[in-house]
Amino acid sequence: MSSPAALPAHLWTLDSGLTVAFERRQGPGFAFDLRIPVGSAHDPRGQEGAAGVLEEWLSKGAGGRDARALGDAFDDLGVRRGGGVGPEATRVSLSGLSADLPAALGLVADLVLRPELPPGELPVLTDLARQDLEALEESPPDRLAVEARRAAFPPDPASPHAGYVHPASGTREGLSRLTPEGLRAFHAGYPARGSVLGLVADADPGEVRGLVERAFAGWNGGEPGVVPARFVSGARAHIPHPEAEQTHLSVTASGISPLSPDWLRWQLALTALSGGSASRLFHAVREERGLAYSVGASPVVLGGQGFVSVYAGSTPGRAGETLEVLLAELGRLGAGLEPAEFERARRGLLAGVVFGAESLRSRAGGLTRDLALFGRVRPLAELRAAVSALTLDDVNAFLAGYDPLAGATVVTLGPEAAGQGTGEAA
Amino acid sequence: MTLRERRFPNGLTLLLEPDEAAQTVAAGYFVATGAREERPGELGASHFLEHLMFKGSESVPSAELNARLDDLGGHANAFTGEEATVYHAATLPEQGGELLETLTELLRPALRPADIEAERGVILEEIAMYAEQPAVRVADELRASYWGEHGLGHSILGTPQTVGGLTREVLARNWQERYGAGRVTLTVVGAFDPDAVEAWAARELTGWPAGLPAPAPAPAVPRHPGTFRFLRDEGLSRVQAALALPGLSARHPLREAATVLAELIGGENGDLYWALLDTGLADSADLGHLDYTDVGTFEGGFSCDPERFVEVQAAYLDVLRSAGDRLTPERVRRAARKLAVSTLLRAETPGGRLFALGMDALTMGEALTTEEQVARFERVSLEAVRAVLDLCPLEGATGVGMGGVVQ
Repeated sequence: MSSPAALPAHLWTLDSGLTVAFERRQGPGFAFDLRIPVGSAHDPRGQEGAAGVLEEWLSKGAGGRDARALGDAFDDLGVRRGGGVGPEATRVSLSGLSADLPAALGLVADLVLRPELPPGELPVLTDLARQDLEALEESPPDRLAVEARRAAFPPDPASPHAGYVHPASGTREGLSRLTPEGLRAFHAGYPARGSVLGLVADADPGEVRGLVERAFAGWNGGEPGVVPARFVSGARAHIPHPEAEQTHLSVTASGISPLSPDWLRWQLALTALSGGSASRLFHAVREERGLAYSVGASPVVLGGQGFVSVYAGSTPGRAGETLEVLLAELGRLGAGLEPAEFERARRGLLAGVVFGAESLRSRAGGLTRDLALFGRVRPLAELRAAVSALTLDDVNAFLAGYDPLAGATVVTLGPEAAGQGTGEAA
Repeated sequence: MTLRERRFPNGLTLLLEPDEAAQTVAAGYFVATGAREERPGELGASHFLEHLMFKGSESVPSAELNARLDDLGGHANAFTGEEATVYHAATLPEQGGELLETLTELLRPALRPADIEAERGVILEEIAMYAEQPAVRVADELRASYWGEHGLGHSILGTPQTVGGLTREVLARNWQERYGAGRVTLTVVGAFDPDAVEAWAARELTGWPAGLPAPAPAPAVPRHPGTFRFLRDEGLSRVQAALALPGLSARHPLREAATVLAELIGGENGDLYWALLDTGLADSADLGHLDYTDVGTFEGGFSCDPERFVEVQAAYLDVLRSAGDRLTPERVRRAARKLAVSTLLRAETPGGRLFALGMDALTMGEALTTEEQVARFERVSLEAVRAVLDLCPLEGATGVGMGGVVQ
């Protein structure tokens, strides 16, 4: 199958250190995704919430415009905005019509490099983050996610960074310590080197490069740094939540790093585990036993390492059985896949390559993700060929040495602890 | 891209929009049935049936059907609304034939008793999951307040009691009554050969029983008391509120202007953002325009600290009341352009275009090209938005608040 998306991406590292991946594609629109490698894990210890509040603060005026003028300038272009703060990065993404690409790049560069940061807005923003934390505490799955990270990825006491436990909105204590000066300094650390911009448009590559160079000229910033994720294996915790309708279950287990030769084998195994309605978890928990509505496993990359995160929610009387089934399915992976499920998972991965690059926005995000995880853009044809070349023997040989159940960390949240008797499973 | 529409003698409609440049093909059965027409004792039947479609047909057992859906690439899903139930999937062009065959097999459920019992457990878990989400609870309460006994006030999932009581006989009767060919539109978008698909449909779908004509829906007259109801829940530290006001139907000529008005008030750069979020009074505040075949609503909500509820509620209602004062040609042009651009860009993938085409065809009763959908937003003028406000003055909202102690 030939497609315009099969053209190789242009890759440039600008003088500032900003890396750009550009893919030319026919069509009326553009999309780009800027990833700055500063996320909530980089919050200074004791100032949890810095990255999240700063990202909100950026939108309160930039490039000589106040907040309203900035909002109107984006709306004038009719662009759709996205992004936000994750554990390891702050992202700004935009899509719109090709003719507006120069103005859109200019606006985002203003937002990221030339924000007004009016001090009077900061108390409002920290109070909004406090409200967000309270709302999060009323959502059991969100609370579970925080508690699961607390058990699995506690911060390093020797690190200046707060690490992976808290959500992007921070903590109450951290928010109370944020100051305009501290956040301005934090903003000055947004590094050009290590930041990546994925961009898709129907435009001349030379012109695009010139546009990006002009928009982001003068960006230096600090040094990018990775916050290591220190995985605590075999931990068990139950968080009482008496009013909850369901008991929420989280299993975190070790996985494969993006740079490992086993990465695609692992991806295929996870697809067989949780990639569709015939996948092992969906079948065993939902189709066969009707134990949960929501169940799934997903890969997570933190600090360059891979992990698998499994979630399910069941009413309290059934949660123990659900947890047993989840752990049993993780344990069963080592015995390998059947030919039919291998083939299904491989087809799913192949289709995923095409679907993941189909829309402008998803492709721009994919370019950025490739640069951040793999340090390069994986050409789609190469990726399809690599997935096609996977064999059942290959994947099963990998799985024979992969035991996610050993060392899995289990955290539950709900009216009562589920699966007290399953501790020996680890 | 040309849009091709064909209606077979049994009433089934085929809607095809081929695009040679597309990298995938998407298809969906859009069935004109939903929670709105459920009998009071059978709430949740539409949604239960949607789940049971995935449990296999007489000739294809559940596990095989799920394996075939996964073979397409794992992009199959379904959803149930008030007036529509949609089954959709997308795949690579070389699997377009399997896509149509598998989706069609999905729509021939066996309704096996053992599958019904297992799936009942899944749905009860789904209900329990949403029962923990304050925003969902308050939205359900709002529907009940605004619509009263009318079908548009039905909870789509049903209640544990009604779902617990849905027997195979009841579910089979609902399927018989509501899945006749006259209610069904198969929409296909993307990389496929329209002649081949039309020939396939003429061969495979014309035997689909025509079914009963859909009963005329009860006139959609909301109860709309125009007051706020507050539900105390000491377990909540924040207040969630939702409110509704009359809007315009999907078939009203000012429908797009109503959507522009909602964007001007409740969009990311809208009046509510500046009044409530920029000031930090509330941590969320929004408004949208929902349209059905014969009626529409403006629906929105906010969440805030309990001690700020009275202030936020007053500010929110004031924004609605004074929306007309802030209208300018420039603001209308901006909001209209933004909606036009997002309509155009959403249509770039078959998966995105499928819903814009299929849902509009179902609720508006006509299939529109992307160009026409975009143009309808671009044409929205200040006068059109003012005309919406004349028809829908945005005063006297019906609302529900939920949370701990407020003043």
